[in-house]
Amino acid sequence: MMKKRFGSRHIGALLLLLILALIPVIIRNTYIQTIFILIFYTASASLAWSVLGGLTGQLSLGHAAFMGLGAYTSTLLLVNANLSPWLSIPIAFVFVGLICMLLLSPCFVLHGPYFTLVTIAFSYAFLNLFTNWDYAGKGQGIVLPFGAEDFALMRFKSKTSYFYIALCMMVLFYIVLRLIDRSKLGYGLKTVREDEGTANAIGISPLKYKMIATFISAGMIAVCGVFYANYFRFIDPEIMAESQAIEYVLPAIIGGIGSVTGPLIGAFIIVPLSQYLNAALSSVVSGANLVVYAVILIAVVMFQPTGIMGWYQNSKLKKKLSGFFDNLDRKLGFDKSQNA
Amino acid sequence: MSTFIQAIVNGFMVGGIYALVGVSLTLIFGVLKIVNFCQGQLLMLGMYVSYTLYAQFHIDPFFGIPLTAAIMFLFGMIIQGVFITRSMQDDQDSNILFLTVGLGILFENVCLMIFKSDYRTANSVFSNKVLNLGNFNASVPKLIGLAIVVVVAILLGAFLKYTRIGKEIRATSQNRTGAEVCGIKTKFVYAATYGIGAAILGVAASCLMLYYYVFPAVGDVYGTRAFIVVTLGGLGNVIGALVGGIVLGLLETVGSVIVGSSFKDTLVFAVFILILVGKQMFKGKRG
Repeated sequence: MMKKRFGSRHIGALLLLLILALIPVIIRNTYIQTIFILIFYTASASLAWSVLGGLTGQLSLGHAAFMGLGAYTSTLLLVNANLSPWLSIPIAFVFVGLICMLLLSPCFVLHGPYFTLVTIAFSYAFLNLFTNWDYAGKGQGIVLPFGAEDFALMRFKSKTSYFYIALCMMVLFYIVLRLIDRSKLGYGLKTVREDEGTANAIGISPLKYKMIATFISAGMIAVCGVFYANYFRFIDPEIMAESQAIEYVLPAIIGGIGSVTGPLIGAFIIVPLSQYLNAALSSVVSGANLVVYAVILIAVVMFQPTGIMGWYQNSKLKKKLSGFFDNLDRKLGFDKSQNA
Repeated sequence: MSTFIQAIVNGFMVGGIYALVGVSLTLIFGVLKIVNFCQGQLLMLGMYVSYTLYAQFHIDPFFGIPLTAAIMFLFGMIIQGVFITRSMQDDQDSNILFLTVGLGILFENVCLMIFKSDYRTANSVFSNKVLNLGNFNASVPKLIGLAIVVVVAILLGAFLKYTRIGKEIRATSQNRTGAEVCGIKTKFVYAATYGIGAAILGVAASCLMLYYYVFPAVGDVYGTRAFIVVTLGGLGNVIGALVGGIVLGLLETVGSVIVGSSFKDTLVFAVFILILVGKQMFKGKRG
């Protein structure tokens, strides 16, 4: 495939981003802003999951535990050492990434559902450990210190600040995933996903690549954890439960596992929907919102297992859209550089 | 010393239920070659069936075992026929994985909608009876549970060995294409196998109802335990699952005496991961 130069597609993406960034200015409603923060957060977590689950094909259901590790790392550093959450972002990334890489490295001999089982076991083990660990506040969890607005401590009164942090996180993660997807590393990961024997034969060590993917994926979701802790200002071991991990995987399933844009689209669909259902149904009958959630998951897996992006790749919409953008490119004169 | 003996006795009794749940999982895996991630939620459904029979029709959970098993059998067949067989044709592990996870969430929350999150118990003639054997105590319902495990295991073995459908199940498990060539309707065999797996869970659920309470999230614990059991015993191995169940029960009760009950889960999962990985590495070196 020809490498795309800067063109109307990029302008379109930037326009979308600009619209998103202007939302807090236009809509002053805090509830709407909260939903957008949740969308950005879920999309970021789902993108982080995609590095290991989508690109490398190692379906993990333990990412909630990795996210929790990040949240706890940042919170404990803040409570005990008064370390700024901004500084704990890189610390959490490296620390959680390394821990998960070391813990999971012996587990990469397992394939398919067996690997998933191990990740579930890890999430239960961490859940149990943190529920009973005195230092980490046991089952009651930790409340982050309240106080005056302080940029250094990532403590804001208005939702708008969190809105922009979450938006930056999502955009950054998306760019990172895009870059990985098209790099040598990304092709290596995809080779491992498709056929480990072949990967081995052409000199791509599956173990090494899986370890790199775990480091990046767990590190990224740990950053999500740092954001989670500082946004909700309360963490407890329940955030590590397997059921939470499904919330991070579902956007990727709906959007299409393995695609880069899939988790984004999935999050923009599922989060508002589940928030709406939460508000509309859970007061009537508790559990009804999760029933709808499960039905969506089952329906997607049964009827459209490749997700939205899988459908889009072979659809007329894609042809029309790319025709439209090519046309635009020609009119705007971006095409010349390619021909020259 | 007597705490240890008590722990061992308890381990056997807890392990009996784990063994049944594990046998069901291993049977489904052995024949269908799928890992069923909604095992715990099916058990929970079985418990609610048993509870409903008790609350609505005043049927003692113990005597209601055959009825619960029959209802669960039908339910399992429907689940397999409607949902899982469809997705099995795609030949994609991840689809089955997410499908069964989704079914699990669905079951749990439908029960949450109907029964709310209250803890519910059913009274049986055997409930709260304790057998005193010198130094240690054994709860009667748990002992009954253990006896039922043995009965179910023998019945299942005989069923697989001597009946026509049992032979068809074994044939399909060995070679699906070969079985189809011989005129075995494998789709029906799959549905029947899943049904039998669910029926076994119905039996386990009824035994649990004798001394335990039911709530929508009750299955989570048993579902993950079932995976540990079958990993210990080898996936697809029925005898292994029986032994694995007892071993896990012992590990839990004796382990909680040693490391304290709060960290027993961490111990159990650590052992699980070690065994799973160790086995695979050992296999890799040999192969």
